[in-house]
Amino acid sequence: MTRENLPSDYANSVIYEIQKAFWDERGNGARFRLTTVGREYFSDKCLAQIHGESVGEIVQGIGKALAEEGIAAGMSYEEEDRIVRLKIPGCLHQSVERRFLAAGAEPLMCVPANLVVLAVEAVLKRPAEIAEIKVGDDGCEVTLVLFEPRPGL
Amino acid sequence: MTETYTLAEATMKVIQDRRSIRSFTDEPVSEEAIRMILEAARQAPSGENAQPWRFIVVRDAETRKALGAIGGGGSGRRFTAEFVTKKMQERFAGLQDEEKKKAAFEKLTSGNVSAFLADAPVDIVVCGRKNVWDLPYDTSAAIENMLLMVTGLGLGACWVIAPCIDVRDEERLHKLLNVPDDIKIVSIIAIGHPTRPHRPRPRLPLHELVYNEVWGTPYYKEEA
Repeated sequence: MTRENLPSDYANSVIYEIQKAFWDERGNGARFRLTTVGREYFSDKCLAQIHGESVGEIVQGIGKALAEEGIAAGMSYEEEDRIVRLKIPGCLHQSVERRFLAAGAEPLMCVPANLVVLAVEAVLKRPAEIAEIKVGDDGCEVTLVLFEPRPGL
Repeated sequence: MTETYTLAEATMKVIQDRRSIRSFTDEPVSEEAIRMILEAARQAPSGENAQPWRFIVVRDAETRKALGAIGGGGSGRRFTAEFVTKKMQERFAGLQDEEKKKAAFEKLTSGNVSAFLADAPVDIVVCGRKNVWDLPYDTSAAIENMLLMVTGLGLGACWVIAPCIDVRDEERLHKLLNVPDDIKIVSIIAIGHPTRPHRPRPRLPLHELVYNEVWGTPYYKEEA
């Protein structure tokens, strides 16, 4: 099986059901078991696209990788102190988040946002956390919080 | 004067006297007490009697400091995320005292609510073998046994899940403690001598918790 013949609705329905199984088991805590999803893809496809040590260069690199692969239309951001708001239009996986909302639960995971968090940790050496995933008609808006490294770690 | 209890009364007293203790004196916890606590854990029930629990006793100050940093870091990230989205403010909306509310927000977002692992004289890391079916339930039963024995010994403890909730933090723990991949780190129990007595936290009444035969019909009438 190749990616070219893998229907996205099939992939998304499987991703949704796997995430739902996590949610059924762990409730809201399930989201913290999914924070590293995308790590392999990040190493293989994204890291090489990041050409600098700023949030802007990270978002640009991840957005470029996702657009080249046809996973999202791109990525933009706004930064205010330690808050970073990502805008992700045209994401292949948005139907997964919509199904969670339809089921009365908050989305558990956003792979593009996970990739940014992984990059922040790898490149900036700063902890980061996804605070909120909002699903809109023009794409998703994901709020991240960036932290200073904690002494002792 | 010595108080006497039936076995049921004594059991309930230990259960009701248990508190989550996060502040400890420097007094060490004896080896005898540690052994009693671990023996209580060992006697817990487990699916198929698999006994998947394993324990790491941590007294080393540097390791405890790292445990505190991992736990505090995780709590700080999660609670700050809850704060910036205003969900924490919604959760505490019923608390009228603004000073207390501010202190609670500070304690939670700073991560200090979990960083005390560094200050307990001993931390027991509870792990479980993954090659069983009921790992989280089995280890949780063992942990409750530990907490009750801690209470029976006149010590204090807190069941800390913060360093294990997020995969990223659990990976840090695995590396720090050299735990193999086929073992899950479930929780850390901070144990020591409490610095002061603690009042019980409120509990929901039984009539809000128990249903009769099927979900929704209260088993108990609301007490006047």
